[in-house]
Amino acid sequence: MRIDIEDLRVAYAGRTVVAGARLVAAEGEITGLVGPNGSGKSTLLRTVYRHLRPSAGRVLLDGTDLREVPPARSARHVAALPQERETDFELTVREVVAMGRTPYKRAFAGEDATDRDIVATALSDVGMAGHAGRRFTALSGGERQRVLLARAFAQDPDVLVLDEPTNHLDVRHQVELLALLRAQRRTTLVSLHDLNAAASVCDRLHVLHAGAVVASGRPREVLTPELMAEVFGVRAAVVDHPLTGDPLIAFDHRDPAAPEADRGPDGTEAAVASGTGPLGPRKGWRKEWRRGRRSG
Amino acid sequence: MPAMLSRREPTDAGHGRTADTAERARALPAVPVALVLGGTLLAALTAAVAWGSTSIPAAEVWGVVWRRLSGEAPRPGTNDLIVWQLRVPRALLALLVGAGLGLVGTAVQALVRNPLADPYLLGISGGASLGAVAAIVLGLGAGGALGLGLSGAAFAGALATFALVWAVARRGGGFAPLRLVLAGVAIGQFLSGFTSYLVLRAGDEQQTHSVLFWLMGSLGGATWELLVAPAVAVPVALLWLLARARGLNALLMGDETAAGLGIDVARLRRELFTLTSVLTGVLVAVSGAIAFVALMVPHVCRLVIGGDHRRLLPVSALFGALLLVVVDIVCRTAMDTQELPVGVVTSLIGAPALLYLLDRRLGSGR
Repeated sequence: MRIDIEDLRVAYAGRTVVAGARLVAAEGEITGLVGPNGSGKSTLLRTVYRHLRPSAGRVLLDGTDLREVPPARSARHVAALPQERETDFELTVREVVAMGRTPYKRAFAGEDATDRDIVATALSDVGMAGHAGRRFTALSGGERQRVLLARAFAQDPDVLVLDEPTNHLDVRHQVELLALLRAQRRTTLVSLHDLNAAASVCDRLHVLHAGAVVASGRPREVLTPELMAEVFGVRAAVVDHPLTGDPLIAFDHRDPAAPEADRGPDGTEAAVASGTGPLGPRKGWRKEWRRGRRSG
Repeated sequence: MPAMLSRREPTDAGHGRTADTAERARALPAVPVALVLGGTLLAALTAAVAWGSTSIPAAEVWGVVWRRLSGEAPRPGTNDLIVWQLRVPRALLALLVGAGLGLVGTAVQALVRNPLADPYLLGISGGASLGAVAAIVLGLGAGGALGLGLSGAAFAGALATFALVWAVARRGGGFAPLRLVLAGVAIGQFLSGFTSYLVLRAGDEQQTHSVLFWLMGSLGGATWELLVAPAVAVPVALLWLLARARGLNALLMGDETAAGLGIDVARLRRELFTLTSVLTGVLVAVSGAIAFVALMVPHVCRLVIGGDHRRLLPVSALFGALLLVVVDIVCRTAMDTQELPVGVVTSLIGAPALLYLLDRRLGSGR
């Protein structure tokens, strides 16, 4: 299945956060969403797994507007791994994964053999089969994330939607989790902070900036030094990864300054202090934001 | 109770991570636990009817119940009236209110996603109390059917508060947990100010006494007529909640997760808030504001059998029923001269039990 997002606008807490985004997540591909903090990645994803409703535009699942489908029905096709990590309640790993069967169950229905098989498979897919009886809250961050991924797998979805799935994971767990995603070969829409991770696992990238998609394409086409400066406000070179050959973005961590164009008249420090430099809100950002608000 | 709980933790868990059993959330399977609770509940009900100022042998208790249920004439010279008109309704009221409080606590804790929430947090019982106290002090509903008038006033107070909290907490078609709690706490405190004022204004000592007794919760008003409302509301609520058990489970993981699982979160919250408010209103109307049961029962049950609502709801109802039947026996028999309010005993048991639980939980490497 594929996801088409058409001219999506989302207002959230009175602000327009997504302002006319348009993108495609193609069948069987990993589609990445990258962009600075506050660019609307999470909000966009939330409309795909139906936590938020679009204020305008559409999210299409194989051509069908999501709003025309009951939530429990679309949840059989779209599974989400949101960023929230809260639970103080006494749930076991297995119980958390079994929640993935929710969209398939009627009221009062118990688990049948199919459900148990699917839950067991999902647990072993993420390497947590031996931990089914453990308390979810007793797990480490990496384990929790794998369990939540197993819950998404247990939904048996055609489309996986993941919001920053590698956040708070150490490098090894990041690599493992992304490898799991690649092995799934499902249509995947994932937001990632780590541009290098995005460059190596995603088939296609969309760059979000102030609620709009400003660049789309193969990672190598999209992740250019110019884009790094313009959208992220950092200096970077893009080279070939010595091991994999993927694009590797080498950031200049010493000098946060963006190119001359963005620099204040008095040099970097003054520009930062006045909020026009790369560490403050970027120039033009407010204007774009206001434009988004007006039309939203 | 501590003996029952101690089974779930190994003697020296240290850090849970190392001892595998310490990480097992569910030390005890739900069905045997439910059977044990059910059996104990039957025994407790028998004791509740048998014990009191007049002791009645258990065989006679069941004899009377059997004769009444099968429509035979009561045998002369037995304690038919005491059993059937006084103690059986009272024991059943304890059962229904206890079960209801267990359910309402479980539901509210999922509604606001906080394992330490209880229905009184949402202000509903404050409104019911104000209604009842107003009825006692200002004499609304005085007259023939004082019992029903009092309950009616309490229920009306609960519903009015529900509407008020709803209006304040509602935002964009749903309730954010924190907003709901804040609105409930604020409105509950506001109403309890009025209640205190009315208590001060109470004309005579007798009025003050009955107000205080009511505020602390009592099952002393039990009659067969009074049982009707909870006998309908509690089973309906149990079925309703069980039908949404998966939705409640999903809410525990967060609103976004629940939405991703196909749950209409805003709607579920509206329904849950309505159901818990009406049920709280019914319970407080027939028994006053009994403290701690709704908070403690689901919490204890969760620690013993785990957090899955498909098991937690029935087990919480059973344990709540058992707890209140036993507590009411204590209230009736502890002192010769007068009864204790139920709320006094539930608080005295509940607070230390809860502290003990929290201590175990924090000690297990959490």
